[in-house]
Amino acid sequence: MELIIDNLSKTYSNGVKALQNISLEIPKGMFGLLGPNGAGKSTLMRTLATLQEADKGTVYLGDIDILKQKNELRQVLGYLPQQFGLYPKITAEVLLNHFAVLKGIGNKSIRKETVEALLHKTNLYAVRKQNLSGFSGGMKQRFGIAQALLNNPKLLIVDEPTAGLDPVERNRFYNVLSELGENTVVILSTHIVEDVKEMCTNMAIINQGNVLLKGNPLKIIEELEGKVYQKTIVKSELETYKQNYQVISEKLFIGKPIIHILSDTEPGNHFSRVNADLEDVYFSQIFGNNTNL
Amino acid sequence: MMWYEIFKFEIRYRLKRSDTYIFFAFMLLFSIVGVEFIFQGVDIGGIKMNAPLVIAKTMGAITGLFMILASMIMGVPILRDFEYNIAAIMYSNPIKKRDYLLGRFLGSYAILLIVFSGLLIGMIIGEFMPWHKPTDYHPFHFYSYLKPFITVILPSLFFGASLFFVSGALSKKLVVVYTQGIILFVIFMLTKAITNDFAQALFDPFSLTTLTLITESWTVAERNVQAIPFSGVLLLNKLFWVLSGIAILFLGYKKFSFTVVKDKRRFKKKTQPLEIQSNDGSNTEIPEFKTAHGLKSKWNELRHFSWFYFVSVCKQPSFWAIVICGMIIILVNSVNLGTVYGVDSFPATYFIIEELQESSMYFFLIILMFYSGELIWKERSVDLNLIYDATSMSNFLNLVGKFIGLIGIYIVLMISLILSGIIFQTMNGYYNYEFEVYFNGFFLEILPFLILYTFIAFFVQVLTNNKFIGIFIVMVLFILNIVLGAFGYDHALYLFGGSSLATYSNMNGYGHFLTPYLIIKSYWLSFGILLLVVASIVSVRGTETNLIKRLKASKYRISNSIKKLGASMGFIFILLGGFIFYNTNILNTYWTNSEETEFRVAYEKTLKKFEYFPQPKIVDVNLTVELYPKSLDYTVEGYYMLKNTSDSLISEVHLQKIIESDVALISVIFEGGATEDKKYKTYDYSIFKLNQVLHPGDSIKMNFEQTYTTNGFESGNGSTTVVNNGTFFNNKNFPSLGYNKKYELNDADDRVDYNLPERVDKAGRKDIKELLNARSGSDSDGINFEIVIGTSEDQTAIAPGTLLKKWKKNNRNYFHYKMENQMIDFYSIVSAQYEVKKDTWTSNIDSLANPVDLEIYYSKGHDYNLDRMMTAMKSSFEYFSTNFSPYQYEQMRIMEFPRYAEFAQSYPGTVPFSEAIGFVLDIDDEEDVDMAFYVTAHELAHQWFGMQVEAANVQGRLMILETLSQYAAIMVLKQQYSEKKVQQFLALQADKYKEGKRRQHKQEPSLALVENQNYIYYAKGAINMYEFQNQIGESNVNLALKRFIKDWNTIDGKLKMKTDRYATTNDLLGYFREVTPEELQHIIHELFETIAPLKISNI
Repeated sequence: MELIIDNLSKTYSNGVKALQNISLEIPKGMFGLLGPNGAGKSTLMRTLATLQEADKGTVYLGDIDILKQKNELRQVLGYLPQQFGLYPKITAEVLLNHFAVLKGIGNKSIRKETVEALLHKTNLYAVRKQNLSGFSGGMKQRFGIAQALLNNPKLLIVDEPTAGLDPVERNRFYNVLSELGENTVVILSTHIVEDVKEMCTNMAIINQGNVLLKGNPLKIIEELEGKVYQKTIVKSELETYKQNYQVISEKLFIGKPIIHILSDTEPGNHFSRVNADLEDVYFSQIFGNNTNL
Repeated sequence: MMWYEIFKFEIRYRLKRSDTYIFFAFMLLFSIVGVEFIFQGVDIGGIKMNAPLVIAKTMGAITGLFMILASMIMGVPILRDFEYNIAAIMYSNPIKKRDYLLGRFLGSYAILLIVFSGLLIGMIIGEFMPWHKPTDYHPFHFYSYLKPFITVILPSLFFGASLFFVSGALSKKLVVVYTQGIILFVIFMLTKAITNDFAQALFDPFSLTTLTLITESWTVAERNVQAIPFSGVLLLNKLFWVLSGIAILFLGYKKFSFTVVKDKRRFKKKTQPLEIQSNDGSNTEIPEFKTAHGLKSKWNELRHFSWFYFVSVCKQPSFWAIVICGMIIILVNSVNLGTVYGVDSFPATYFIIEELQESSMYFFLIILMFYSGELIWKERSVDLNLIYDATSMSNFLNLVGKFIGLIGIYIVLMISLILSGIIFQTMNGYYNYEFEVYFNGFFLEILPFLILYTFIAFFVQVLTNNKFIGIFIVMVLFILNIVLGAFGYDHALYLFGGSSLATYSNMNGYGHFLTPYLIIKSYWLSFGILLLVVASIVSVRGTETNLIKRLKASKYRISNSIKKLGASMGFIFILLGGFIFYNTNILNTYWTNSEETEFRVAYEKTLKKFEYFPQPKIVDVNLTVELYPKSLDYTVEGYYMLKNTSDSLISEVHLQKIIESDVALISVIFEGGATEDKKYKTYDYSIFKLNQVLHPGDSIKMNFEQTYTTNGFESGNGSTTVVNNGTFFNNKNFPSLGYNKKYELNDADDRVDYNLPERVDKAGRKDIKELLNARSGSDSDGINFEIVIGTSEDQTAIAPGTLLKKWKKNNRNYFHYKMENQMIDFYSIVSAQYEVKKDTWTSNIDSLANPVDLEIYYSKGHDYNLDRMMTAMKSSFEYFSTNFSPYQYEQMRIMEFPRYAEFAQSYPGTVPFSEAIGFVLDIDDEEDVDMAFYVTAHELAHQWFGMQVEAANVQGRLMILETLSQYAAIMVLKQQYSEKKVQQFLALQADKYKEGKRRQHKQEPSLALVENQNYIYYAKGAINMYEFQNQIGESNVNLALKRFIKDWNTIDGKLKMKTDRYATTNDLLGYFREVTPEELQHIIHELFETIAPLKISNI
């Protein structure tokens, strides 16, 4: 089963073109959707999760026409939105059980079993009797993934799941995700490059409603291999470098700017070659004016 | 000046929000019709619609009604920071708590004033609406509006604002904001329970009773023009509430903590056990299963939803606050139950349930409006909606689950209320709980209403997709429906929900009203389900909130089962609608108010010319009536003997059938033959041209047959002519002779609209034509009466007269009554399942006279006051026959009838007596006046004043009939009880008089010229007659009455025979003058011929 997005477009009533002719083929396994804030990731995710109407285009999961057969899709869908809240005066177990009913797990004992298993899996079993109002951000996010997995989804959509999580929690979260079988299409949207590099077999970068790049992360990195150079500079020189080189990123290291540039040839001038990173790819797509990639 | 910045920000923020404008518009629109709405159905007694008092009261009442709006404005300014998670940023700024609170409060209060200025502006605009009659208004005076707005409304608003602001800020809960209006309502209700007028006026938060108190002694003219003085109790009242407001603000300021986390202790307790446990769950296998989407799983899903949402509301403290408030109010209100003349009834379950229903309605409506919004918004309010919406749950099941959950909440409140009712009964030592009546009272009468409005509320909430606007639209729809009904557009097919169930009677249960009620409710229920189906299709799922886009997307959301459900509900809706239409409009006739008005106008315009057309008089009545209590029918056949008592020839008889579509006059046959002129058939008015002209003194027999057939049911609450148990109707249902004035249009304003001349209630005392009438359009001066009544085998049928024979035939009971002597043409036909209490009374004076049979026919279980009634009969007969004249009949029967009407009425030798007034009174001889005794005595007095002596149908008629009966009954009361009880009774009458006087707009007539003002002939009459006998002595008054009866009684009164006319108050006062010493003559004039204020020296 594959998710095929064809020519999907969406323009909001305020004129923002959130999606512009997006076409993607997403196979089973983890798929990373990378893009800066406001790139259209969440719009795409919500459209895939049947929560938003598109203006045109089609989306198919196998035989299911997502834009029309919403309820058929929902039966095999797991969705973790970017932001969500929880009823305060309810325990994790009760709410998870409630979601299990929502997802059509009618049999009481199976439901109980599933809920317990997921609580174990997300490491929430010990706190299952606690009111959700006391949950930390990480626990809340794990609860979110637990509910998304309740119905053994064929399509799992997780929207910016690690925003605001500390590294330990982030790892814990990805551990849960990574265990999903190869039978599921998992779409992970994020603006954190590391996430994609660590987790995904396929990826796309979108910005301003357009797909800039798609493919296998390693292959994509390979394309840049040998073309990335870095140099520690003085802040006042930054503008000069920007004019003379194709600067794809700048960051601080112990308070001093380090820039990465893209160059087919050895730029000299104390630049040193570094191994290309997914981050370089990302920045080159978003900020670089390199369009021939 | 930091507070000023915050103040400015608050105002700017609010001015950008649409709800501010919506609130304002709502206030404005409502206020335009405010006076009409508040004073709807209240006779404001000739006071102009823009009199300062009317304006002030309307403003007060509207403010009270819209306190909820004030709560929505004032409750949120602090709460908002928490809701939008901005509090942390806000509070970490270097602002002072004082500036923050002050700025927010004043800013919101300014907005509140802007919104409530809609009240001021709206009412002013309302004055200029084209539909008003200019005669109802003074010239426009801006100050009349501005002054009460400033003096009455602003202080009330300030108090409300302080209360709502502080409770919103301290609780930081949105539901508190919704429900705190209720707190003020509770306060308002509690002030109603205060018996001290002054204290009640002082503590009324909306100053309604305050205004009543300060204007109590005003004349009509003063009420009309005088501005409301801002002094006295009004000033104190305002001072009290403003100071309370300040106190609350101060308290709130002290209590409010400028931190984000409001309860540290609780927070700690919660976080501690949440230490992360690091057992690795990665090995856990998620079990394999298939999700089910069959019927059974849907059912499970629905059950789960219902329970989930039910519990979620149950967990809200605000809900329990409502429940507890409801229970408290009921316990306070139930203090006066089924009160008649200041005497409470036994706390029988149906009284309790009525009290519960009445005072809990507000609570149910609050729950309905607010929790329907809460439930629809439940997921979205915690930002959980996207997860919900991405699951495969069905919109419809989810909505139905919420619906059922809310219904469960109503049921919890109902059960709590029933519990409080039972507690109340137990506390009062009453243990006959009648759970069935409790159950029906709530689950049959209230629950269907709530269910139907919940459909509306859900539908509106989904459609508008804005909680506040949704709540308001539901309110508007609710009010609209009431208004529609009030204007007479009340057909069950379009008046949402149909009408409420008829009064419950212990005798007749819900009678025949129940079935149509259930059918109409089912009709609306199917409509409601349709609404829910539509709502589920267009409800927000996902991020698309625009209604048009939702409508467009809905085509992919209609599943087959939803389609089937919708179609079948539509089918049922149409089917039931057709069935209802068939019943109400084809089997029966449905008239709107305006159709009825036009009919009355046409009747008068066409037939008025016959009003004094010479007609014979009915002298004999001989009927056979068959009652069918099961099928609600009767047939009557027999004859009237008509005699020409005039001195001219009579060649035509005008017969008026009662104008009611289920009554049919099957045949009318005149002895000697007649031809019927059907020209006026539209008005059920037939003219029979007699073949043989009727000479003066001649008689003619008129045979007729009439049927009353109940077909199906009517819209609204049909007729109570014949009921399953407790039939009571009188001969006004039978054919009458000549023009019937009762069909004329009564309302003075409507008459002007239709160009009809002003209608006088009673002709002057010199009106020659009416002096010959004992009743309006009377067609008889006395009859010989004989009747056979058949009824079902479990019932006893009763009419005036001696019971000659009683037998059973075809499983039916038959009763043959015949009145031995002549009686007035006024008889009742009564039939019910009765218990009987019998006794006899023998006159002490006339030992040769036959004993009089005394009988009380009562419904089983209603035996609390039978002894009192029996004693009353005996003492009355004793007193009246000793002091006035002998009793003319051989029996006296009291028959209980269901509480569809609340009165007792005297007929010859019989008194139908309502279930509601006496049979179940809980009379405490220490505290109460024995009203079962008194009412009996009053009705028995009518056997003299009404049956023996009749009064001419002119001004003062009701003084002769009613005031004299009051006097006679008071005398018996005094004899049996004490002077003190009489004083207590008269004090009640004084209150009634004042109340009646306040409501009346016409110039008050003297007793001698009284028309239909019952506060004069009952209340003032009782007081003045008592004062009269105080002055000239009881025996003198009795002597005068004795002479009056002797000279004017219908059968052989000396003067009656001589003059041929009936007595007037002029005659009566003549007898009073005869027995009054010279030096006291002036008091007759004072008491009966002037409108001098009450002599309350003794009271």
